[in-house]
Amino acid sequence: MKSSPIGLLVAVALGIFPAQSWAQAKAGGKVTVAGKAAATKDSEGVIDADASGSAAAGSDAAAAEGAPAAGDTAGDAGEEVGESPTGSGLDDICKIDPAACPNLDMDKEAARPLKEQIFAVQQAYALRVRRFELQAGWSQSLNDQFVSHPAPNLALNYYITNVLAIGINGQYYAPFNLDKDFNAQVRRAARVAVPLTEYQWGAALNFTYVPAYGKFAGFGDFIFHYDAYVVGGVGAMSVRPIPVIDPDNRNFEYQTKLAFNAGIGLRIFFNRWFAAVLEVRDYVFNDKLESLTVSKIPGSGPNGAGNPNTWYGETSLTNNVQAQLGAAIFIPFSFDYRLPK
Amino acid sequence: MTTTKQKTTKRLVSVLAAALALFAFTERAEAQQILLTGPLAGAPAVRKLRWHRKGRFEVAPAISFTLLDEYQRTILMGARLNYNFTDWLSFGAWGAFGAIKIPTHLSEQIQDVNAARRQVDPDSMYRPRQLTAVNLGPNFEKQLGSMDWVVAPQLTAVPFRGKLALFQSIYLDTDLYFFGGPAFVGLTERKNCDDCTSPSSFDMTSRMAIAPTFGLGFTFYINKWSALGFEWRGLPFSWNTSGFDTAGGGKDKKFPDNKITNDDRQFNFNQMLTVTYNIYLPFQYKVSE
Repeated sequence: MKSSPIGLLVAVALGIFPAQSWAQAKAGGKVTVAGKAAATKDSEGVIDADASGSAAAGSDAAAAEGAPAAGDTAGDAGEEVGESPTGSGLDDICKIDPAACPNLDMDKEAARPLKEQIFAVQQAYALRVRRFELQAGWSQSLNDQFVSHPAPNLALNYYITNVLAIGINGQYYAPFNLDKDFNAQVRRAARVAVPLTEYQWGAALNFTYVPAYGKFAGFGDFIFHYDAYVVGGVGAMSVRPIPVIDPDNRNFEYQTKLAFNAGIGLRIFFNRWFAAVLEVRDYVFNDKLESLTVSKIPGSGPNGAGNPNTWYGETSLTNNVQAQLGAAIFIPFSFDYRLPK
Repeated sequence: MTTTKQKTTKRLVSVLAAALALFAFTERAEAQQILLTGPLAGAPAVRKLRWHRKGRFEVAPAISFTLLDEYQRTILMGARLNYNFTDWLSFGAWGAFGAIKIPTHLSEQIQDVNAARRQVDPDSMYRPRQLTAVNLGPNFEKQLGSMDWVVAPQLTAVPFRGKLALFQSIYLDTDLYFFGGPAFVGLTERKNCDDCTSPSSFDMTSRMAIAPTFGLGFTFYINKWSALGFEWRGLPFSWNTSGFDTAGGGKDKKFPDNKITNDDRQFNFNQMLTVTYNIYLPFQYKVSE
């Protein structure tokens, strides 16, 4: 019972603290500072809308409206500050260090032609130049109705410029190939077998170009940035036929094929170094299909059914269109802007 | 007894103190939130937003291409009509008819084999032909199930609005939308039969399937009254796309029964990509504050 009053005192003390914090947030300290800043612009109390917005930060109502509170605030602040401090600040610098004193002919400077290049967007949300992008995701084949080829994939890109990157990527398909029931149904119903192919892995060297970027307002409440890119490259895919014509004799080994790829992607930034990636890419390679005919000669002789040379049939240019969903991390995490906002 | 009472009072006071402390912390966090907000506190995320949709009708001629078809691709021509109650919610319908039907390479292969088998005298007891008598008619491509028309009333939500810069020179307003609703699909399929080897058993019949439909799309606004749209649509339902006898017999009816029945309809996650040209009425949009 002796400690009860102490507990109550602690509770009351804790209850008081928030009131103090609240008071700090709403206090006029910021108003005074902002007001002073405003006053430096115009001692007669005429301030542009942006400046007045800052000046009105201490008042909820005024902050919401932006400009209306400006005149009063600046007027008051002007009285507090008196003369414009800008001039006296320069004088002080000149007194302390004459060498640092600005010595410009303002008329001459104003007459100089301006050749500064202005970009449509001076500061994109996330700069990519001289940054690495590490992508990880899961992809799913879009165009093969016979065998689906999902795969985890990784990619590493380095942005040489803000819009151009060189990189590598790879997929691992081997345990995930799925021969669909539909194939067996066709074989059973029509006595027609379709040669099937499964993939082991794929890897490529790529160039990425980012021609488009933009931003979205979600539910009119929050804004997120995105960019769209095109990607293309060359690499290899390890593939082999799934034996369906003569599974008793045929057992194919994986073979590496030259593969070209091209695709488009969309990157949605959650912050300046983390993004979600949606990509569709077509990997094209020359596939060697299973032979539709079976040798009637038993054994593994030159023309025997067990000779791997008799297992392969025609070659076919195959498209492996993959949709990929993943995440991207940009390293280093931070960057400096070259141009002002 | 007194000790127990004291203990209870002690506990009560401690709990009260802890509760007060918790309340105090909550208030403090709110205070910090105020500190974080600046001169734009309470301001909308986007000012002067062009309301391309709000209060406008949308008439969008559309062309749709089916995806991942096993036997036959369909190109559907149609249109979408929407009324946009707000900039983020609209109600309307999409309707289309299967204008162009293209057999896949698989169908062509099956028909090639089928045609070759049919060169053999039907009375010669040719085994492959006997085994496929229920499933392959004179022309396989004519027994394929097809999507003839679709009408889908749908609700569209537009949660994301934004803009896109292309090559730092072309700027487009865009939005990302999601839609869903029921779909009424007119289908042509091989008709049910008990004796399914006669030529007449390969006749086709029509029916209407009701299925859910949903998807998402992008709109790229070209000017004040028109836009280009790209959307993906899922339309899952069961139908017999090949005219094959694949089920109805054996364990769990998963084996052929030499009859064409409703059991032969296989579940298909039908998908399509649609390109639209959207026209908005009235031609002038409104702008937010």
